[in-house]
Amino acid sequence: MAKILAVDDSASMRGMVAYTLRGAGHEVTEAENGQLALDAANGAAFDLVLADVNMPVMDGISMVRELRTRPSYKGVPILMLTTESHTDKKMEGKAAGATGWLVKPFDPEQLLATVKRVLG
Amino acid sequence: MSSTGGLAQFQQVFIEESLEGLDTMESSLLALDDGGDGELVHTIFRAAHSIKGGAATFGFPEMASFTHEAESLLDEVRGGKRAIDKPIVELLLRSVDCLRGMFDRARAGQPLNDATSDDVRGELAAMMGRAAPAAAVQGRRAGDQAEAWIIRFHPHAGMLAGGNDPLRLIRELAGLGELAVEADLSRLPALAKLDPSECHMGWSIELKAPVRREDIKAVFDWVEDECDLAIEPKPSAVVTPAAPPAPANIAEAAARGTREANADSGSVRVSIDKIDGMINLVGELVITQAMLDTFREEFDPSRLALLQHGLTQLARHARELQESVMGIRMLPIASVFNRFPRLVRDLSQKLGKQVKLELHGEQTELDKTVLEKIGDPMVHLVRNAIDHGLETPQKRRAAGKSDMGTLKLDAYHRGGNIVVEVSDDGAGLNRGAIVGKAIERGLIRSGEGLSDEAVGELIFQPGFSTAEVTTDLSGRGVGMDVVRRNVSDLGGTVTIRSKPGQGSVFTITLPLTLAIIDGLTAAVGQERYIVPLVSIVESVQLKPEALKTVVGGGELFRFRGEYLPVLRLHELFGCDGAKRAIEDGLVIVVEGDGSRVGLFVDGLVGQQQAVVKSLETNYRRVQGVSGATILADGSVALITDIAGLVRLHGRRKAA
Amino acid sequence: MGSKREHSAPAAVEIGLPADCRMAAQAALLAELLGALDAPATQLDGSAVERVDTAALQLLTLFRREALSRGCAVSWRGASTTLCEAAETLGLIKALDLPAAVPA
Repeated sequence: MAKILAVDDSASMRGMVAYTLRGAGHEVTEAENGQLALDAANGAAFDLVLADVNMPVMDGISMVRELRTRPSYKGVPILMLTTESHTDKKMEGKAAGATGWLVKPFDPEQLLATVKRVLG
Repeated sequence: MSSTGGLAQFQQVFIEESLEGLDTMESSLLALDDGGDGELVHTIFRAAHSIKGGAATFGFPEMASFTHEAESLLDEVRGGKRAIDKPIVELLLRSVDCLRGMFDRARAGQPLNDATSDDVRGELAAMMGRAAPAAAVQGRRAGDQAEAWIIRFHPHAGMLAGGNDPLRLIRELAGLGELAVEADLSRLPALAKLDPSECHMGWSIELKAPVRREDIKAVFDWVEDECDLAIEPKPSAVVTPAAPPAPANIAEAAARGTREANADSGSVRVSIDKIDGMINLVGELVITQAMLDTFREEFDPSRLALLQHGLTQLARHARELQESVMGIRMLPIASVFNRFPRLVRDLSQKLGKQVKLELHGEQTELDKTVLEKIGDPMVHLVRNAIDHGLETPQKRRAAGKSDMGTLKLDAYHRGGNIVVEVSDDGAGLNRGAIVGKAIERGLIRSGEGLSDEAVGELIFQPGFSTAEVTTDLSGRGVGMDVVRRNVSDLGGTVTIRSKPGQGSVFTITLPLTLAIIDGLTAAVGQERYIVPLVSIVESVQLKPEALKTVVGGGELFRFRGEYLPVLRLHELFGCDGAKRAIEDGLVIVVEGDGSRVGLFVDGLVGQQQAVVKSLETNYRRVQGVSGATILADGSVALITDIAGLVRLHGRRKAA
Repeated sequence: MGSKREHSAPAAVEIGLPADCRMAAQAALLAELLGALDAPATQLDGSAVERVDTAALQLLTLFRREALSRGCAVSWRGASTTLCEAAETLGLIKALDLPAAVPA
């Protein structure tokens, strides 16, 4: 199963995501903001990164931009968890290097379906 | 959503973090109102945004839709489309209140919306210049349909690095039906010039399945702007569109979320650091224990030093572990302090006073139980300070002070205690008014010879109030006596220092934790009692002639110019075999509820930390006893409740 | 992924593809393949490949095309099912001269 990095400042959202993914057999690392996610990504090769957009310290979009400058994170799927239904936020995320997005609210089934989709 | 199984726990976490988010919104709004910078708007927006997202996910669509309105307003402010002004701050503050109410109702399992939230929601919408929208029901338009499709797909060079792999996309297409894939290699560069992270291939794909165009587009939804995509029906394979599918009503689906009973389980969130610290300590403990274990096998007197060293280490680890376990219950007082900016703002506006609030030591940590209960007494002290302590700008100017009064909240450690101070630079206690009122109430006969300290004590007497006009703010029939009662229930004390014209300082001293107390162990007959160290003033041995018996059977003795009653613990608790002659035993002078009494015991056995076991939980509430503890020899000792004993004595005297 | 090259007379080169043959591995693979363009024959071993992506297949496709155009032989010593399936999905079976993955 895949190694997944879940990044969200909201403990409930992060917890729900991690719980659901672990339940499906994935190995999940949690990070509270973009900066901590970058630190976590230093030490491990993740197969997938799920990141909130709005976070303190470092937001999800800056995190993606930074992550994509690292050779080992080129091509690794990064999904933005976003409530922004506006296309501009999605596009901003995409321009920074995100693979796609998952629009909140989502339920565990939707999450798993999307993860499965992106992991192929 | 379906909150199946363990997911319900995150609903609780969501409520907790949302309440924190609301606190942040509130304090930032207040700071914004004080002319804070634009970063605050982002902070507020972020908090609202998180609540909105979580609310929908965790089954509170009403909250999501309410927050959406506030968020939209904030978004306009954030985007510079709208300048922030007083009415907006005001409305957003009220929105924060509404959401707090909604969370309260969510916890109680009640309907989330009420008249107020509907009103505020309407106002938010009105401010945005439109009516509150009904939940948008968006139907999907049916796409074209065909028996088979030709898909031409040419990724832009950067698509691969962005994590969208054509391999995955084409596999997904294969999920729709049989494919015939042809790769276009015409654009490949020379190998030496290839950046392997760039894509230079394209594909022409025939999908042999009668699916809708939308189903195909959905596969490419993330890469619309990262590729050239053409989806065309295979010639001579067009069929008429089928009936559109039923619109997916997202709101309705979200509303189906089950709402679990949200009984406040009283959970504590613990930082990883604290947990890691404990795990480390347990590790050390295990090592020491293993070392000590070697003495079980063979004990050689030459290794005595090692044994002593081991025991010392064991004691240290146990103490440190105890401290860190206690630390789990410790939370910063900031959560209590953060209530006050709003309160101070509202109150001072109402009273036409100018008040600057200063907060210090917000990171000072208190036991969670203490934290939950210290709020009310503090609110009372703050109200009191603004209502009675601080003067109007006119009066301040007349007294040669600046218009703006200062109210200071401070928290810090002192010894094994936490000190919380509420101070103001107002008029100070009005000695004349207090003495006059105390005489009128029959609390004292005259004010002559009363120290300032003693005058300050008067305001803590039941039913005391000096306000010339009873306002709806402080004059709610709740006096300083209740503040003192609340604080003493937490094992703490409250005192006041005041200087005329310069202000007052209320000092609340609290134990670090309610779970462990430092106490002296006193012997009474065969029994042992713990007297909390914080209450002890001094221990004295009395000569028989120092004891005065008064009418009604009470005994008094003179201590520092004051007559104090003697409470004989053996009589109060009915202990056999205790010493009776006053000169044979010891009198411990203790202070509780602002009064001093002497406790007569046989003698002191030692000083120790006692782990408090609740009597109420294990037995029942006993007057004068706050709990029990287990001594080193395994016997049980009762912990005396000094404030309770003082009250008990007062009642007996009155009877 | 050891390439064996002899200095005097360039002989057949064998290149083993890594188990994780995705984008992060390709800078190294590209260097190796560029070196192999000088060899008269190259044997690719894809039997260890467990994970592969479009970038890898594009690189291999391009290498084979360029090698063939220089008159060098490229052959497969082995190819995992994963590799073959991916090539088939992307329509590259012919271009890579891999056997179509037949479900066993």
